[in-house]
Amino acid sequence: MRRHFPWMTLLAALLVVGITDIRFLLPENLVGLASDIVPLFIMAEGMTLVIYIGGIDLSSQSVANMATVLTTLELPVLGAGSGAVVALAGLAFGAASGTVTTRWKVPSFISTLAVGGIALSVAQFASGQQALHMDAEMRRHAFGWMLGRTAGVPHELLIALALGAIAWFVQTRMTAGRIFKAIGTAEPVAVASGVSVGRYKILAFALSGMFAAIAGVMFSVRLSGGSPTLAEGFLLPAIVAVLVGGTPLTGGVGGVLNTLIGALIVAVVRASMLYLNIPATGQQIFFGFVLITAIATTIDRSKMRVVK
Amino acid sequence: MFELKNVEKRYPGVHVLKGVDFHINDGEIVGLVGENGAGKSTLMKIIYGAVQPDAGTVLIDGKPVHFRHPRDAMRAGIGMVYQEQSLIPNLTVMENIFLGFEAPFVRMGAINWRKMAKAARHQLGKVKLDIDPATITSRLTFAQRQLVELAKVLALEERVEGKLVILLDEPTSVLSRKEIDLLFDVVRELRRRASFIFVSHRLDEILTLSDRVYVLKDGVIVDVVNGKEARVESIQKKMVGRDINEEYYREDRQLDYRDDKILLELDRVVCKGRPHEISFKLHAGEVLALVGVEGAGREKILRSIFGMTRPEKGSIRVEGEPMRAFSVSNSVAHGVGYIPRERKIEGIAGGMNVYENMTLSQLKDYSTGGVLKLGAEHELARDWIRKLSIKVPSENADCGNLSGGNQQKVVLAKWRSSGSRIIMLDHPTRGLDIGAKEDVYDMVREMSEKGVGVILIADTLEEAIGLSHTIAVVKDGEIKQWFNCQPGSKPSPYDLIRYMV
Repeated sequence: MRRHFPWMTLLAALLVVGITDIRFLLPENLVGLASDIVPLFIMAEGMTLVIYIGGIDLSSQSVANMATVLTTLELPVLGAGSGAVVALAGLAFGAASGTVTTRWKVPSFISTLAVGGIALSVAQFASGQQALHMDAEMRRHAFGWMLGRTAGVPHELLIALALGAIAWFVQTRMTAGRIFKAIGTAEPVAVASGVSVGRYKILAFALSGMFAAIAGVMFSVRLSGGSPTLAEGFLLPAIVAVLVGGTPLTGGVGGVLNTLIGALIVAVVRASMLYLNIPATGQQIFFGFVLITAIATTIDRSKMRVVK
Repeated sequence: MFELKNVEKRYPGVHVLKGVDFHINDGEIVGLVGENGAGKSTLMKIIYGAVQPDAGTVLIDGKPVHFRHPRDAMRAGIGMVYQEQSLIPNLTVMENIFLGFEAPFVRMGAINWRKMAKAARHQLGKVKLDIDPATITSRLTFAQRQLVELAKVLALEERVEGKLVILLDEPTSVLSRKEIDLLFDVVRELRRRASFIFVSHRLDEILTLSDRVYVLKDGVIVDVVNGKEARVESIQKKMVGRDINEEYYREDRQLDYRDDKILLELDRVVCKGRPHEISFKLHAGEVLALVGVEGAGREKILRSIFGMTRPEKGSIRVEGEPMRAFSVSNSVAHGVGYIPRERKIEGIAGGMNVYENMTLSQLKDYSTGGVLKLGAEHELARDWIRKLSIKVPSENADCGNLSGGNQQKVVLAKWRSSGSRIIMLDHPTRGLDIGAKEDVYDMVREMSEKGVGVILIADTLEEAIGLSHTIAVVKDGEIKQWFNCQPGSKPSPYDLIRYMV
């Protein structure tokens, strides 16, 4: 029952908004809705891997912020290559969080918070605290392929789905994914089976950092610029997307496919707030409540003996 | 008088208690015995309110009561002296004694320490413990802490009406002979104040202390015997349900091991925090049992061999090759498998299915370039489900829902299928019912026929004696004595105990 809860929620949300305005359910509108949340979705996919192993990544938003700045700065020098370099930078930041967590046993919520702080400072320093803009010609030349449409579907959306498919393949068909699952369900069992748990944990954080950076790259291309506050307000909805999708904070169940559903739920809820005339600034209040409810209802309390 | 009537308890997959009747009169000392997994701890938890029965009634002086929480039971005068001590080590003795019941000493929000110390001294006097109540608990010896724990429970006396019922869970397991005598004297003296339920593995102790003894087997009270008349052997027989004989431990299938082939050699290994050197050899087909009291350091030896802790000195050789890197993955790669005592924590991943559990230690062999060979995994699992007759609907079943015995088989299959030649079994039959235990014994014999070397920490001395070729008695991290344990010349439990304590 619990397994089916996420998509039923999605369906119900679609119907509720659809009843108030039938135009909401038009295909063009739904595609637009989905492509709006592409950066959020990519960030959430990365975050899923970390939550799947029972950790949390609070650095995603800051890494994405940093990515928008660095992409904009590197564009004149590296062209399309700037995207790849920035993705690798994200990987490195994620790996740093993972290393701090596994080697020094710092809980991931604090290690990623700290690494996120560093990423944000890098963004502020590199940008000089200003909003930067991409040269229109260079942007078109390097990243034009991201912006087009094929058969009415934005390329951004296709890229996001491809990334989601890769994450799904890693999670379900690769050794790494199996080990992520084992760490999430029963880490001591993985240790006692001779798995190099530390290495795989670092990998999960690194992938999360990379996905966050890619989200930042795509966001900066979309908005044609970068700033240390561009991705502000992404973190909460990204975590909400993972949790309402059905990957509990305690890890081990759910996964990237669930987060696809979760991200769509977030998209519909967001859109519905526009329909209901709730100002954008008020959305975070709502997501905060949704997050608490999602955590409280999905968490596996048998895995937690004491909560502090 | 405290009574249980027709108490039932089920957990997913197990019927733990099947209509248990139990009563204890004021001032009585009642023993409770049973094998591991017989339902003793569940029964105790029901008595002290940590678990609620599915059916049946709990009565005090004929009146039905309902405990939702241990605190409810405490209000009714039922206290528990825990096996793993429940005192908080960094608090003082008096803080521990009155933990959660500080109200009488509070004036205007502050605790009157002098008043509390006086009250604590009164409680400590009941158990004849002469220590300063302001001592930090961690400074006490184990035996002293046990008495403080008892004093804490006795403090209930002033708070409740009627007599106390006190549960003692394995109170003697780490005490010396002298300390045990002292504890028993205290208990006998306290009969005026309370009745006691005494749970222990040591049948002789139970018989010396108890007025009556309840024998629990597979969730049923099979007998209640008079403590003065009963004999250890007859109780033992009732606990197991039949004679424990050679057949039970498959002694007829015990073959000689191959002393020309050494699988594992420990040469003057010093485990962390232990001053002694340990040396032994494990041969192909040999079952080597490490015997000792809880905390004697047996588990540390296994964990060193498995690479979980690095020994401070000495060398470990696997088939002649010295181990240099100490990590679990290294040991696993050398063909060492470990079946841990805490099956549900380290052994089986509940939430993962059968094939995922079995291949977890050997994913390299079941993947190419990081991509899993799902087909081969399924095949392996089906193969071993058949070989070990594991009772599961399919290889896709969640291991968390299997019975203990079947979980143990899955863990064993994990190591056997990856070709481990040295298998360490830490309490492999803990919490299993008799049939599942016999399955494990069969598997041990079968492994040793195939030339696997087995190191065993058994659940009981009888099990160690029955299964092994060789016994090493471990005390305080040192091998005190070796016993040859070939069929026909097996030592008795008594021979071993002399060196254990």
